[in-house]
Amino acid sequence: MLIKIQLIIGALSIILLLFTFELIRKGRLREEYSILWLFTGIVTLIFSLSPEFFLSQFFTRITGLYYLSAVVLIIFLFLLLIVFHFSVVISKLTNQNKELAQRYAMLESEFGEHKKRCFLPDTPPSHEDVTSRNDH
Amino acid sequence: MNSSKKVLVIVPAYNEEGSIEAVIEGIRQHFSRGDILVVNDGSTDLTSEKAKRASAVVLDLPINLGIGGAVQAGYQYAYGKGYDIAVQVDGDGQHDPGEISKLIEVLEKGEADLAVGSRFVGAPMYRGSAMRRAGISILARAISIMTGQKVTDPTSGFRAANRKAIQVFAVTYPQDYPEPEVLVLLSRCGLKVKEVPAMVYQRESGESSITKIKAIYYMVKVLLAIFVTSFRSRPSAKRKGDQC
Repeated sequence: MLIKIQLIIGALSIILLLFTFELIRKGRLREEYSILWLFTGIVTLIFSLSPEFFLSQFFTRITGLYYLSAVVLIIFLFLLLIVFHFSVVISKLTNQNKELAQRYAMLESEFGEHKKRCFLPDTPPSHEDVTSRNDH
Repeated sequence: MNSSKKVLVIVPAYNEEGSIEAVIEGIRQHFSRGDILVVNDGSTDLTSEKAKRASAVVLDLPINLGIGGAVQAGYQYAYGKGYDIAVQVDGDGQHDPGEISKLIEVLEKGEADLAVGSRFVGAPMYRGSAMRRAGISILARAISIMTGQKVTDPTSGFRAANRKAIQVFAVTYPQDYPEPEVLVLLSRCGLKVKEVPAMVYQRESGESSITKIKAIYYMVKVLLAIFVTSFRSRPSAKRKGDQC
């Protein structure tokens, strides 16, 4: 029974590690977001290789959990950590997105003003406009 | 009234094509000394075109940021262009442009850094649902306790800010339901808020950003936000994103 679970957990963690690695290699997952996933994979892999160490040495002694429940608990904790990490990341992205939109709107409005000043026939272009146009 | 202070009227608008021209016209009529800036918050209708046709300056946000991000863009513009006073007037026509000068008077006399048009000061004319008034009064009480200043209408979006407050807003402005949080933020920065009686009309078009379903979420979010804001470390210039 234990061997079976060990094999499944081991295979899953190896797949997770390979998959994460492959995504990083292809540039579809940024390194900073992959660290937690890699860490999860490594910990569960070690767990599947030598469950006795975990079980007898400290995990069972601390938590009183058996192997499968211990695995579930560990994975759950990691998922919690990862989801939390994502919330933080999304908050940061939202903020940066907002700043970008605001800068963009400001630039666009200034650019529009500038264009008007340069190309409207009834307003003579200022000295700056003339020199910048001569550059091109 | 004949002071030389530069005043910008910020009109945040999201899909307000039905009312934006009337609002701009109203501001021109009643408050001719101010420049008008419409912040188009990623509208999908003709808000931007209509505002431009009414020859207001228009700031077109490429995506919808929500009221906080839109108003902040307006304050950033005001800060960058060196305005002394920025007034916030909703784009749906619920505020009376004739009352802008009342707000500005408070700032020019130096009585406060932010003047807020309140529905509940003086002769209250506002008749909202009982739920809504109860919600507002809970928030008002919480903010009054947090800031030590008397506040009656923390959700009012009819406001005028002086240069100091503009500078704070250009750097930090709350996002989701910003109006109540702003009051706590300013008090953390040591700035003063004063309320002025103001009318609020029925919305001419569009719908309030607070629907019944969202009301509870609104209360929880705002209470949490003002609670957290008042526990933030006192602002300093240490890092970017700090409050003042």
